[in-house]
Amino acid sequence: MDYSKEPHGVFFLIDNKSFYASVEATMRGLNPLKELLVVMSEADNTNGGLVLATSPMAKKIFHLQANVSRQRNLPQDPRLIVVPPRMNLYIKRNLQINNIFREFAAECDVWPYSIDESIIDMTKSWHLFGNSPREVARLIQKTIRKRLGLYTTVGIGDNPVQAKIALDIYAKHDPELMGEIHYETVPEKIWTIDNMTDVWSIASRTEKRLNRLGIHSMKELALSNPFYLKQELGLIGEQIFAIAWGIDRTKLSDNIAPKNHSIGNSQVLPRDYFQKSEIETVIKEMGQQVASRLRHHHKQTGCLYLSVTYAYAARVEGERGGFSVANNLNHTDNDRDIDEVLVALFENYWQGQPVRNLAVYTSKLVTKEAQQLNFFTPVKQQCQAEDKLAIVDEIRAKYGFESIVYANSLLKGGTAIHRATLVGGHNGGNAYE
Amino acid sequence: MNKDLRIILERISQSFTRRRDTQYYLQVVNDCYDCTYNFFINIRPRGERLHSIPLHTVEDYRLSYLEKIIDRIMEKYQLSITYDGFVGQKWPVKQELIQKRRHKDE
Repeated sequence: MDYSKEPHGVFFLIDNKSFYASVEATMRGLNPLKELLVVMSEADNTNGGLVLATSPMAKKIFHLQANVSRQRNLPQDPRLIVVPPRMNLYIKRNLQINNIFREFAAECDVWPYSIDESIIDMTKSWHLFGNSPREVARLIQKTIRKRLGLYTTVGIGDNPVQAKIALDIYAKHDPELMGEIHYETVPEKIWTIDNMTDVWSIASRTEKRLNRLGIHSMKELALSNPFYLKQELGLIGEQIFAIAWGIDRTKLSDNIAPKNHSIGNSQVLPRDYFQKSEIETVIKEMGQQVASRLRHHHKQTGCLYLSVTYAYAARVEGERGGFSVANNLNHTDNDRDIDEVLVALFENYWQGQPVRNLAVYTSKLVTKEAQQLNFFTPVKQQCQAEDKLAIVDEIRAKYGFESIVYANSLLKGGTAIHRATLVGGHNGGNAYE
Repeated sequence: MNKDLRIILERISQSFTRRRDTQYYLQVVNDCYDCTYNFFINIRPRGERLHSIPLHTVEDYRLSYLEKIIDRIMEKYQLSITYDGFVGQKWPVKQELIQKRRHKDE
């Protein structure tokens, strides 16, 4: 394989070892790697408790998995420390970590990838800090450990995808918490991966589709016919073929303009909802929330999408576990207009099943430039309605969401007031500041 | 009563429910990374997991200030307190060692 024309750089993909759990351990003056600690959300909608993160030792000893394990999987072991999540604290730490990265690379070369992962393009700056990329990675690890007490794992590669695979497959099990893949080591490092789903962007469904084509390993994938893969799997076929060869031509600095923007919210309800009025209360709240976000971005929506998932007990084998419907409407950012359409959609399709998940999305967004008046309502009334929403938004911006809410949020089943304090669906932890 | 103390006392009263067969104690951590003192209440029902609930983060990073807060907490609650990250440091007024030896995993 001739890699000479492929982009060659030095990329680091750095992730925090058990991020939430490690932050909590350092806050308690404990060593993140040695302690048995789990971060567990005990919010109403987690059915007793959902384990958000576990320290490496807890993972090893109790075989726990973050975001999968529930309270029922947690043993009653006196050695175990259970702590509530503080999302705002983790966000603050993430910003601190990224600021440290910016000491090693230019601002434009640091790309936060998730709450605990960042991609750093070290091509231009690594030689300022050491004799080899590995040495620089070690220095970054040590700096973060010294300043924040956290352990980081580093994947090093000639391009971002190599760094990502090096991180996921090798760094996590390396005593130095580092992994390296380069073009020349692709056959020995990528083709030998036993479990294809361990590779970034290949999940169980893609694996099944590949198996059907007679491909059972990364090596077979790399040696298969790319035109055949594209014919069978489409664009993704080409993409995973490139990954099997460790090829990634992404330019991180390219600005990707999405074809369509969308704004939406979803939630898991704290219990199964049976009554129409209760479900509609939540749908209306979500409509109001989405409308408020649209106004914040100066957008109007032309299409609403409602997705309803039934309670686990109501799902029958072979039948649909819910419904997703969409409807067009005249461009609007008004609470009431949006709620009307959502409730109409719900009433049309719902047949009395208990409900557990709800999602509301808006698409076909346009930038709001002026208020569109209509013929059927007095102009004054329309202007007042518009002003009212602007004032509500202003009050909320100044005093917080709970300072002014629709009375329906006080009805049985309403979740908006409680959810207003959450960050990323979990406890923000402001109450502990 | 200042703000830090008020918050800590308020949150202790919320968490300290005096359930039977349950151990309650406070933990104060010298957070050398953030230069703060972190307060936690640790709750362990007998033979079960330890729940560690954050109470407050005191940003005034002076031992004399911390000593005053601890004294006022002790006036109201006689909960035992464990200290972490204070090895070698003494209370400015009492002149006693805060933490005698390093704890396991610290």
